[in-house]
Amino acid sequence: MKKVFLLSLVLLLTGCNITVLDPKSETASEQAFLITFSFWIMMIVVVTVFILFARFVWKYRYTNSRKHILPKDVKGNIKLEITWIIIPVLLLIILAVPTLAITYDQSPEWTKESEDAGIEIDVTGKQFNWLFRHRNGKEEMDKLVIPEGESIILNLRSEDVIHSFWVPELGGKVDVMPGKELTYEIKHPQRGTYQGKCAEYCGLGHTDMTFQVEVVSTQAYAQYLHQ
Amino acid sequence: MKLSVFGYELVIPTDIIAAWVSVILIGIVAGYIIIKKRKLGVVWDYMKTTNHRKIGILYLLFGIIYFFRAGVDALLIRTQLAVPNNDFWVFQGEKYNELFTTHGTLMIFFVAMPLLLGLMNIAVPLQIGAKDLAFPFLNSLGFWLFFAGSLFFNIAFFLNLTPEVGWTGYAPLSRAEFTPGAGTEFYVFGLQISGLGTIFTALNLIVTIIRHRAPGMSYTRMPLFAWASLITSFLILIAFTVLAIALYLLMFDRLFGTGFFSGDEGDPVFWQHLFWIFGHPEVYILALPAFGIFSDIISTFSKKRIFGYGTMVASIVLIGFLGFMVWVHHMFTVGLGPVVNTFFAITTMAIAIPTGIKVFNWLFTMRGGVIHFTTPMLFALGFIPSFVIGGVTGVMLSLSAADFQFHDTHFVVAHFHYVIIASTILGVFAGLYYWYPKITGYMLDEKLGKWHFWTFLIGYHITFFPMHITGLEGMPRRVYTYSEADGIFILNAISTVGAFLMGISMLFVIWNVYKTHKKKKKVSGDPWDGRTLEWTVSSPAPEHTFEPMPVIHSMDAYWYAKVKNKPLPATTNVRVKPLERDSIQPFCIAMSLFIVSTGLTFRWYWLAILGGVMLFALLILRSITDEREDFYGKSDDHA
Amino acid sequence: MERVMIMRKQEAELFQDKKVGFFIYLGVEAVMFAVLFATYMIFTPAGSGPYPSDVFQAEMVLLSSLFLLSSSVTLYVAEKGIQARKGKKTLLSLGLTLGLAIVFLGLESYEFYTFVQEGYGLSTSVFLSSFYVLVGLHAAHVTFGIGWMIVLFIHYVRPNVSYSLYKEKQTIFSYYWHFVDCIWVFIILIVYLPYLV
Ligand code: HEM
Ligand SMILES: [Cu+2]
Ligand SMILES: [Cu+2]
Repeated sequence: MKKVFLLSLVLLLTGCNITVLDPKSETASEQAFLITFSFWIMMIVVVTVFILFARFVWKYRYTNSRKHILPKDVKGNIKLEITWIIIPVLLLIILAVPTLAITYDQSPEWTKESEDAGIEIDVTGKQFNWLFRHRNGKEEMDKLVIPEGESIILNLRSEDVIHSFWVPELGGKVDVMPGKELTYEIKHPQRGTYQGKCAEYCGLGHTDMTFQVEVVSTQAYAQYLHQ
Repeated sequence: MKLSVFGYELVIPTDIIAAWVSVILIGIVAGYIIIKKRKLGVVWDYMKTTNHRKIGILYLLFGIIYFFRAGVDALLIRTQLAVPNNDFWVFQGEKYNELFTTHGTLMIFFVAMPLLLGLMNIAVPLQIGAKDLAFPFLNSLGFWLFFAGSLFFNIAFFLNLTPEVGWTGYAPLSRAEFTPGAGTEFYVFGLQISGLGTIFTALNLIVTIIRHRAPGMSYTRMPLFAWASLITSFLILIAFTVLAIALYLLMFDRLFGTGFFSGDEGDPVFWQHLFWIFGHPEVYILALPAFGIFSDIISTFSKKRIFGYGTMVASIVLIGFLGFMVWVHHMFTVGLGPVVNTFFAITTMAIAIPTGIKVFNWLFTMRGGVIHFTTPMLFALGFIPSFVIGGVTGVMLSLSAADFQFHDTHFVVAHFHYVIIASTILGVFAGLYYWYPKITGYMLDEKLGKWHFWTFLIGYHITFFPMHITGLEGMPRRVYTYSEADGIFILNAISTVGAFLMGISMLFVIWNVYKTHKKKKKVSGDPWDGRTLEWTVSSPAPEHTFEPMPVIHSMDAYWYAKVKNKPLPATTNVRVKPLERDSIQPFCIAMSLFIVSTGLTFRWYWLAILGGVMLFALLILRSITDEREDFYGKSDDHA
Repeated sequence: MERVMIMRKQEAELFQDKKVGFFIYLGVEAVMFAVLFATYMIFTPAGSGPYPSDVFQAEMVLLSSLFLLSSSVTLYVAEKGIQARKGKKTLLSLGLTLGLAIVFLGLESYEFYTFVQEGYGLSTSVFLSSFYVLVGLHAAHVTFGIGWMIVLFIHYVRPNVSYSLYKEKQTIFSYYWHFVDCIWVFIILIVYLPYLV
């Protein structure tokens, strides 16, 4: 069990080829940072517990020579107990600071009047397709074309049940709700082709509710709009 | 499979046929054994019983049966996911959706809950010196309601009407427009009935713990399992009531055309709020009793009292309290906005603190002890590192912006299986091995128990560890396949191997139980050299316990009496014990609710009314056959 | 004499169990209603459909409240009666409680009936849906209470039920009934009042 853990630790260390940890936009980079950062902080906890665990279990195991020992009762130890309250609190505070900053910036909202300028795109989810509508009225099903380096502002809405818009390389999920429009921003995507998917279970065709994302140059995008 | 009946073309999927065949075969074999061994009387006896140990056995029995069914579902899921673009049997699309819905719902409501309630039923009264639960009739009713609900839910599959809305039943998918047909009703009513039973049992446990402790057993001397059961019961009362109302509203939406959770006039997010106000405390309802079991076991087999009893109790209470303040962490992506998201991110992180306290206190309980590696202790030891892994991924999930990536992926699947299996499932196994002598009078075989432990633990890590990575690779949950290009084939294949290893480990359990009961070797009342009161009564625990009643002067009183080589002081001057009388009425009451639900599900309103009439008739019958009438006598007549 | 003392003590203990259990149960009921009140507040007034003030009628609410709330008073008298071992007083005031409850239920059914007649049905709008599931559940509680009172009368005349046992049964019932009344007060305050003044 511990071997498995160490092995994957190594995997995570070299984790640059894991999709989410190999972000292709500023939004996703911030999220990936938070994931790796919290991973390392949490490793402190894991390692501490594992070491204490291994040591205690080994040292105090039942052996023939310890057969007749009657362990001394220890009711507790206020100092120790305070220690393992204070240290986790500190670790959590360290974690909380970047979390707050990034969450504040990124949380999707209902009908937010976005202050930032950007390319606005209307996204409509319906069982089991995605419709992308660009500013000039151009629509395409299951294929999203966006320009690189810009701020992409998505206005998402569903026609039936809840779906969730997700392009792992470009950023986290936003739910696509019926009756409410949500706004989500993807900052500075890099050129490439990615797969997007529906992440909220929405019925029969949920698995196949995927779409393609193409991040292209600004000129190519302008061209695409007028095709 | 296509059948032609009276000219109708009937399409019956082969998995349903397989299920029918296997259930009929099992039924015939079970029936044969019962009749051949003349055990019908035993069955009847158990249907009428109000004894806490017997009801506990029933809970455990059905919990384990459903564990096997939900486990088979898990194996089917894993088989379908073993290789990319797989086409295993019928389990793509709709059937896969039914599969994970059934697996999740069964595991949470009809496996984890009854197994824990069963152990509480058996062990809590014995640990605190109560002669039974405070209300034996209600206890029996609680069980049979659970049974009726679980039966109702399970039957859906045999009618090819399995719900397919996930165990979370998110609206508007769960509304009739999107899932027409009777399937979802089985989810709604199955949970509603069994939830009612759970509420009754929780209430019963609370009154028992508050009012039926042995003389001297103050709250500061109570074993931690009893403490955990007490707090858990309070959580149940609130959480399951909220769930009941959520289901009540969903029922109106589905059957009577209201629009609470619709996308147009109502609010689908309201369902999510209600569901998670139930759902998050639910995971603590599953975890806290397990914490209690581990606390008692670790202390017993380290031969040392628990380290930091006071903080242990305080952290149980704190976890229970904070458990109600974190539900939105399941909803970071629905757009509640940055303020709400950060608030709930912080409360969620805060829960890690009392949990951490517990982990360190367990570790320091072992420090300086003499650790005996019995099977229950092995499960407890397996729990600590496994749970810590699940706990730290929990903290990672609580970082709301990171959760935008984690949410609804296999990372989450990995996380909650790590937590639930480490706490609840390992805890239940530990408790079963530990209390088996108290339940049956026999001791499970230690060697097979250790085989079970190691295969299960290794299988569990092999299954779920890779899911962290597949999740980060972009594999959403609740999808029935993935493509080769996703690059997650090997990891998924490993997962599947692990799942089958867990499956194999359960065969050791069957073998072990068979062997133990074949050997029929009785054990003494105190086979583990225990510390708490349950080990003072004989094994199996008799129907009439604690005569005379022990008087408690310290925590782990029995242990210290043994150390001092003196018997526990005892008294016969005790409060009256709960009145009990065997009755088949609880079973009938539960079945009348089963009938009502059937009527509502298929819109056969006459049947629903019939069931309702039956219910009220039974309630009146209950009222006039009250066992208190005999006890109170007629001596002081009406004025 | 000593036997009687022991008996008294044992009965008192069993009754205390019952009482604690029943209060916890009422706690569960309170949570239930709290969630329904919350539902009502979230969905009322609804975006579309009738406005609450157009639906509710003050006279109706006033009248039915009068009956239900005074039933709590008569029940209180019945409690006093049972404590003082005054059979007639008990039965009479319990009967009065039953009558008041039935009238209340009749009025409420009539209210629902007129609403439906005017086209304000269960599924007309989310406001009405949340109104009906809340007030309807309360009405179901009143109905259950009526059945309970009838069973209490039966117990009163049954020879198997000792006086002390009957007293306990009636006491538990009165907790229930006062609770149901108390919920009604909240219904007035939260459901009706904001849209009638
Ligand atoms: C015994 C071995 C188990 C295996 C191999 C297993 C496997 C799985 C898998 C692969 C999924 C994800 C399905 C999907 O999203 O497509 C899943 C979902 C789930 N499992 Fe398990 N599981 C096991 C035990 C348990 C236990 C013990 C519990 C709880 C007590 C549990 C509760 C759940 C729940 C609640 C879900 C979510 C269902 C949903 O998405 O609606 N599982 N399981
Ligand atoms: Cu979907
Ligand atoms: Cu949660």
